[in-house]
Amino acid sequence: MDPILFFIGSITPYIAFFVLIFGLAYRVVRWLSIPIPFRFPVAPAPVTRLGVLKRMSLDLFVFRSLLKGNKKLWIGGYVFHVALAITLISHILNVYFHYIWDVVGYFWYEAVLYSGIFFLAALIFLFVRRIVLPNVRYISKISDYIILILLIAIVFLGVYMRSFGLIDISAVSTYMYSLLTFNPTAPPDNIYFLTHYILAQILFIYIPFSKVSHLIGWILSTTRNKRNITRWRRHVNPWDYPVKIMTWEEYYEKFKDELETIGPGGERK
Amino acid sequence: MKIDKSLPARKYKLYATWKRDMETLELPFPREWSHKEFNLPPDWKKIALKKMEEVVNKYRSVKLFLDICVKCGACTDKCPFFLGTLDPNNMPVARQDLFRSVYKKYFTLTGKIFGALVGAEELTEEMVELWYTYFYQCSQCRRCSVFCPYGIDTAEIMIAAREVLTAIGLSPRSLTEAIAKCETIGNHMGIPPAALLSAIQFAEEEIKEETGIEIKVPINKKGAEILYVPPSADFFGGPHWGTLKGVIKMFHQIGLDYTISTYASEGGNFGTWLGYEHMKKINKKLVEEARRLGVKWILGGECGHMWRVIHAFMDTMNGPLDFLEEPVSPITGTKFKHAASTKMVHICEFTADLIKHGKLKLDPSKNDQYIVTYHDSCNPARVMGLIEEPRYILKNVCRNYVELDPNVNREKTICCCAGGGLLADETIELRLKAVRPKIEAIKRTGANFLACICAIDKAAFTEYSDHFKLNITVGGVHELVGNALVFD
Repeated sequence: MDPILFFIGSITPYIAFFVLIFGLAYRVVRWLSIPIPFRFPVAPAPVTRLGVLKRMSLDLFVFRSLLKGNKKLWIGGYVFHVALAITLISHILNVYFHYIWDVVGYFWYEAVLYSGIFFLAALIFLFVRRIVLPNVRYISKISDYIILILLIAIVFLGVYMRSFGLIDISAVSTYMYSLLTFNPTAPPDNIYFLTHYILAQILFIYIPFSKVSHLIGWILSTTRNKRNITRWRRHVNPWDYPVKIMTWEEYYEKFKDELETIGPGGERK
Repeated sequence: MKIDKSLPARKYKLYATWKRDMETLELPFPREWSHKEFNLPPDWKKIALKKMEEVVNKYRSVKLFLDICVKCGACTDKCPFFLGTLDPNNMPVARQDLFRSVYKKYFTLTGKIFGALVGAEELTEEMVELWYTYFYQCSQCRRCSVFCPYGIDTAEIMIAAREVLTAIGLSPRSLTEAIAKCETIGNHMGIPPAALLSAIQFAEEEIKEETGIEIKVPINKKGAEILYVPPSADFFGGPHWGTLKGVIKMFHQIGLDYTISTYASEGGNFGTWLGYEHMKKINKKLVEEARRLGVKWILGGECGHMWRVIHAFMDTMNGPLDFLEEPVSPITGTKFKHAASTKMVHICEFTADLIKHGKLKLDPSKNDQYIVTYHDSCNPARVMGLIEEPRYILKNVCRNYVELDPNVNREKTICCCAGGGLLADETIELRLKAVRPKIEAIKRTGANFLACICAIDKAAFTEYSDHFKLNITVGGVHELVGNALVFD
């Protein structure tokens, strides 16, 4: 096997996957290791666990908070995420089903192409939006553009090679399957596929170190996943510490004359 | 959305804490300084970074929110301070980014390696100046969080960020002056016991003149069933005065066994906006007074941020409050189960329950001179979710009630823009700009009475109505309750 093909076909995919999984796991463990001093959800918040589940589900499946505030961005973001989900699922299913397409049908085989087109359109919308809108441009850092360009490049190559039949999906699937069985064969020596593949690996490695970690971090968002029950269930702050205040006795000494005008011992009944 | 890159809001800074108040409150680095000349301690940078490390490891939400923001921009046009000034640093995400960029530089791998590429920035004196400016142009109203796909809450980041500013000796007079008074005299307004007595006697006389009934308000009364804690502004007069009188009249009509305390005469808590320690101190006074007086439970008055503390923090900071009993309304027998642990009930919850059971003699036509609208103040709406109770009360005590525009109402409310320590003369220009959308919404309703359940709302909107020539009376929900009460 060509040593470069061997490297990007048999070594780096495992590294990328390892970094993605353990990187994200590290992030989650790190977040979880930090205490939550207060139960402080943004109201109106549910008081039952089922209510929280509903609130979080609506945020996950409908992007409800975003929908409330920005319809255009919602369309762009929603199409982007749904297309991403379909693309990912169809990638996995295609690898799994590649030898029985005639049996399971070509639905997912086709789906990946069309979701890719929507995916690309949404990405371009988000990219243009980031450049054109002055408020969004102001808050954008170079890395915010880079991640979009990276995604656009990956998706464009995918759509391009599929649209023009530049790639043998069976060969790719056979190779991917060999990766899964830890017995990697050589990847198809196809410049479109290899570029698509390397960029995807870079993306995998980048995810845990970047804002893309929101894919798991949102679940931990304490303003959303907490029940509004603070007044009937005590929440304990692990780093709480005692404080000293002016006591009544000190206060009484200080304002004795004034308090006595209110009544004996400062009391008025 | 337009922005103004000349950063017009940069000129609005809160004035510096007096040296004497820094000493009283034992704040770090007591010294003479001003909002223009910070006079930072020599090793300020080391201290700031150390404190920053501490806060991101103390509040899970803060680290999480700093890490996962995707800069989507959904929050950008939700902050009244941005809408009013078009200063891009007042967009919630940009405000957070002032903190986030420094966090990235010193506490993340990518920030250390790639620097500005990922938005990481050095902590410089200029950055500190931006911090002090913009972190104190946030009223912590949480409006941005409602619209954020992940619920990222600028308020929580600001709480942490202000702790860092306090650690290097930067805090505004608008907070510390009130906190110092509260911790040494008993309330934010600095009303000593004798003056408080006079205020109450004055209210009693006025009620006698108006209705002919004689009332004697119990003060510091041991063994009363309920301790009533209003914000101290209620004793001070102005737009708060009607609320105090309304509550006193209502308590008289139902024959409530209650007491007011001079020691815990402050429900409000300006410490909330400075940091954990002073928030806890001010709140503790209330708990200790309930213990000393031997009351069964506590009733809290019309105040906004007071209820942020009571609803979300009190039980955690100063609990468990086992020496108190689970609140039960002595008039209706209703158990306030939702307050079973904190043992503190909001006056609107209490009154709504009274009305529901028909225990108040009300004549809503007594408020017929008013077209009433209700302003959701940020803390009751977005921390407690107390949205229906005040409306229920209002609909029962007046006959002309109108709602505000749904875009600035309920959980989407635009606040009075004077919370978070911003209620100071030097910020009036900024606040007038920020509150404009709310003022426009109020104008559109044609209302001539703005009902609020927050002392800061009442103070701020009175100021604004003069400026915008609104021809509107600002007052409490319980002022209208008081008006509608019928005494045989």
